[in-house]
Amino acid sequence: MIQFNYIAAFFLICLGFYTIVTKYNLVKTVIGMSVMDYGVNLLIISIGYTPGGTAPIFTAGELTQASYFVDPIPQALTLTSIVIGACVTAMSMSLIIRLHESYGTLDTREIRRLRG
Amino acid sequence: MTSIFLTGLQYLGCILIFPGFLFCFFCGLLLTGIDRKLVARMQKRVGPPILQPFYDFFKLLGKETIVPAAASRTTFLLAPLVGLAALVVIQLFIPIYGFSAFSGMADIIVILYLLLIPALAAILGAAASGSPYAGVGLSREMVTIISCELPLVLVLLAVAKVVGNALGTGLCFSMTEIARYQVENGSLITKLSMIPAAVAFAMVIPGETGSHPFDTAEAETEICEGMHAEYSGAPLAVFKLSHAVKILTLTSLFVALFFGGIGTGIIAVDGVIVFALCVIATALFISFVHAVTARLKIEQVFKYYWTAVSGLALVSLVLAWYGL
Amino acid sequence: MNFTNMMDYHHFPIYAVMVLFLGAFVTMVCGTRPSKNPNNPAGLRAWIALCATGVSLLLLVLLIKPVMLGGETIAYWMGSRGIAGGYAIGIALEVDALSLFFALLIATAVFVSAIYSIRYMVHDDCVPQYYVLYCLLAGGVLGLVLSGDIFNMFVMVEILTFAAVALTAFRTRVYGALEAAFKYLVVGCMGSSAILTGVILLYAQYHTLNLAQLASLIPGSMNNATKLAFAFLYIGFSTKAFIVPFHPLAADAHGAAPASISVLISGVLTKSGIYGIIRLTWFLFQTMELGAMQFMLVFIGSVSMFVCVTMALAQHDFKRLLAYHSISQIGYVLTAVGLSTALGVSAGLYHAMNHTLFKGLLFLAAGAVLHETGTTDLGKLGGLSKKMPHTTVLFLIGAFSISGVPPFNGFASKWLIYQAAYQRAVETNNIGFLAAAVVALVTSTLTLASFVKVTQSVFFGQLPPEYENVKEVPFGMRLAMGILAVLCVLTGIFPNTVMSVLTEPAARAVASVGEYIMAMGFKATVPTPEVSFAHVGVWTPVNWLLILCIALLALTVAALAGRYDQVSASQGENVETKYQLFYGGEQNVYSQVGGGDLFWGFKHNWRHYFDFMHDLHSGVVNDYALWAVVALALAIMYMMIAL
Repeated sequence: MIQFNYIAAFFLICLGFYTIVTKYNLVKTVIGMSVMDYGVNLLIISIGYTPGGTAPIFTAGELTQASYFVDPIPQALTLTSIVIGACVTAMSMSLIIRLHESYGTLDTREIRRLRG
Repeated sequence: MTSIFLTGLQYLGCILIFPGFLFCFFCGLLLTGIDRKLVARMQKRVGPPILQPFYDFFKLLGKETIVPAAASRTTFLLAPLVGLAALVVIQLFIPIYGFSAFSGMADIIVILYLLLIPALAAILGAAASGSPYAGVGLSREMVTIISCELPLVLVLLAVAKVVGNALGTGLCFSMTEIARYQVENGSLITKLSMIPAAVAFAMVIPGETGSHPFDTAEAETEICEGMHAEYSGAPLAVFKLSHAVKILTLTSLFVALFFGGIGTGIIAVDGVIVFALCVIATALFISFVHAVTARLKIEQVFKYYWTAVSGLALVSLVLAWYGL
Repeated sequence: MNFTNMMDYHHFPIYAVMVLFLGAFVTMVCGTRPSKNPNNPAGLRAWIALCATGVSLLLLVLLIKPVMLGGETIAYWMGSRGIAGGYAIGIALEVDALSLFFALLIATAVFVSAIYSIRYMVHDDCVPQYYVLYCLLAGGVLGLVLSGDIFNMFVMVEILTFAAVALTAFRTRVYGALEAAFKYLVVGCMGSSAILTGVILLYAQYHTLNLAQLASLIPGSMNNATKLAFAFLYIGFSTKAFIVPFHPLAADAHGAAPASISVLISGVLTKSGIYGIIRLTWFLFQTMELGAMQFMLVFIGSVSMFVCVTMALAQHDFKRLLAYHSISQIGYVLTAVGLSTALGVSAGLYHAMNHTLFKGLLFLAAGAVLHETGTTDLGKLGGLSKKMPHTTVLFLIGAFSISGVPPFNGFASKWLIYQAAYQRAVETNNIGFLAAAVVALVTSTLTLASFVKVTQSVFFGQLPPEYENVKEVPFGMRLAMGILAVLCVLTGIFPNTVMSVLTEPAARAVASVGEYIMAMGFKATVPTPEVSFAHVGVWTPVNWLLILCIALLALTVAALAGRYDQVSASQGENVETKYQLFYGGEQNVYSQVGGGDLFWGFKHNWRHYFDFMHDLHSGVVNDYALWAVVALALAIMYMMIAL
């Protein structure tokens, strides 16, 4: 069933791309970026998954050859990635507020002073 | 110690006398004089005496030098000197038959770039004068440089490939090697693939020197000499001299690249031979073209060089590539 | 740990990175009292940032001896946790000559720009926060190039993108700054996500994040997932290098950011992207022997070179023009690296270094103009050379360098790139490399043309009446520009020294992947090849310069002996008629020839091309995102088919 996760992950990434490319509202663009990020996160967490594994939390004495747990590294990576994703959203929202102040619109087709 | 002193003296002689300043001064101005006389004769005029450029030069030296109030003085006065010095240095790198004054210091790509310096000096001098005529002139001069660059590049790459093929190294950029190859195996013009390249280079000469019909940058009748509009006195004389030396440089580069196999091995005689070839090249590619054409517009100049001339040069490069 | 142990040079890379992050932290918490000095509103914080960047530079310079000259590769495990059970479990820093080369460039640019910032940022508010972001950006880029761990590279990419976006938007009142930042954020984040996806796909295949271990595992075991990862990583680093098709972002971001930040975005961020691409293609996947890979890099490099230089010709804003030029120059670097010869890589790195120096100088000069006049619009400026003579000279040095006028540094590296390209064309009998050489040569002339345009429009020509009271910029700013100008000249006059000390060790490191892997303690199957830097041309700048000086001296003596210096110039306020400019007998009026239409004769012939390009760079963020997605799709397809 893990394949389903991979498909979902890439579907989310593509959905994010689709949103960024086709939606002309800045907020929707940011939503697209978040969706893309979640897709990547899902991919990371799925890669570390092993069927039947337990959470990788042990004290030194408990760890034996027989311990069977999911890969902890992707989980750590996901945490980093989620934090970064939250920062991106915060930053882009603050930019959007300022953009709305100075342009009076959120339509990307009108926010194009710099071109050519 | 004495030998170092003598070598130094020899190099100094090269820079100041032959093939440096004195040679450039006489031959350049003489070429201009011959050019003017020939054009006049072709147009059924009597024309000035051949020594007229010398008289003009010394007369200009005696005139008052006026620096416009709007100009940036240092750049305005320094630009002509730098341009002339750079041109003379290029002349030192161009071999005369087997002889080159400073061998192994520059290859053809370097010479291509060194040729930019005099043009750039003229452009900066013009920009520093503040005149709008000069502004238009420098814009046109720059477009002419862009126009000439592509054919020149293609020609030089073709030459590098042909000589490299013959020497077995694949390609050869060194000016000295190219000269030596021609001394041993005859001029490059005898190669089939080099004929279009030679023609293309010949077509570039009037563009690079700013002669008719490519003198849009100076166009006396439209923009009052363009880049030189505000120059007077000695700086103008230096610019006129630079123009004369540039004709010598380009024709002697042409001779060195395509007719390098003609000579005797005695420097003095070779100098005369090269000068004679330069006169012929000037007569054919500058005077004759001048006499029979009218000035082009700047966008026509660009189009001409990037289509017709570059096409010829490209043919040559492709032929050279396939070893013809 | 005792002091001597701490001063072991193996610790220097991590110190160099940490001192910047520490600088960011300390800048945040201290010096909260507003400074009373009008010339330095940030007070203590500016000095902290300056010290942090200075120390970082010093530490890296001390590494030149062991790494560049001694050929050592420093492998450093953080917290001494290294390899267990054949797998790298610790976080590593690995510094070979390539990493150090880029780190030196970065540290130099960051340090010089910090000097410049102190006086440049006086008119801004929130300057303390500026220094925090500044240190973060510097630390991020330095961490990226020194890291030996691919996930760390991703984290550093995110840090630097973040800091760069925030700094792009820093001057919120500047025309288009917010917009530029937002576009950069969207496409930059797509790039970062692509890098993360690539990293995780690699992890899924090889269960390690260590660069050296990946490099020892990947070659020979390429499958579709690896190729997919390669495509994602390549596109990710492309967005950081701003190469085609991501160049419009560079133009926006460079143009809108404060000049001291443009220096970093152009001279430093793009380099980090190029560094990433070199690490990917040469080290991780070792695909540079493949013709398909060489073709891809040379093609994209040549397109970047040409498209961006033509875009630059059409610009009428000083900084935007410079921004397009930086991508054009990055195109040179990419082309040279893609040639896949030792000479090519060495030439490319040389050019990367020169680009950092001269583009830094040019951006700082643009900043100086902005600082004094308040605008960078080429159509509004003119004649500043009379008011800002030093800035003009420094700008001209930068302009000559980027246009490849001998003997400045741009020429030395471009000349090597032409040779490398042509040599490669002859070796492989492939006419494509020849075309790349021709494109490079023509691009160089077009570069010269657009800098003639800037020179004429900004520094020469006539001074607009409203800039009568413009002054020269403060000494601090001139000092920063002066350092870069001196470096531009020195690296141009002594190319052999630069090559033997900096670029050739780095190029050798690029060629010897095996040593990179083994230094970390993994098994390498790649033999270290013999590296030859032979080239066919000759160019001895010192001798040429000597001859030119003698000639110029002789000429000056002759000129002084004549009447050359007896110049009559205007006196006082009332200008006599003969000192006025010639207007064909008309009244003397202000008329400046400059700005966008200077090269009409050239543009007229290419008007369809220019119109097309102008429409293509529409400024809508969706379009740029679409370009990114299409580029990603193309890259995936190309990797699947070609590798």
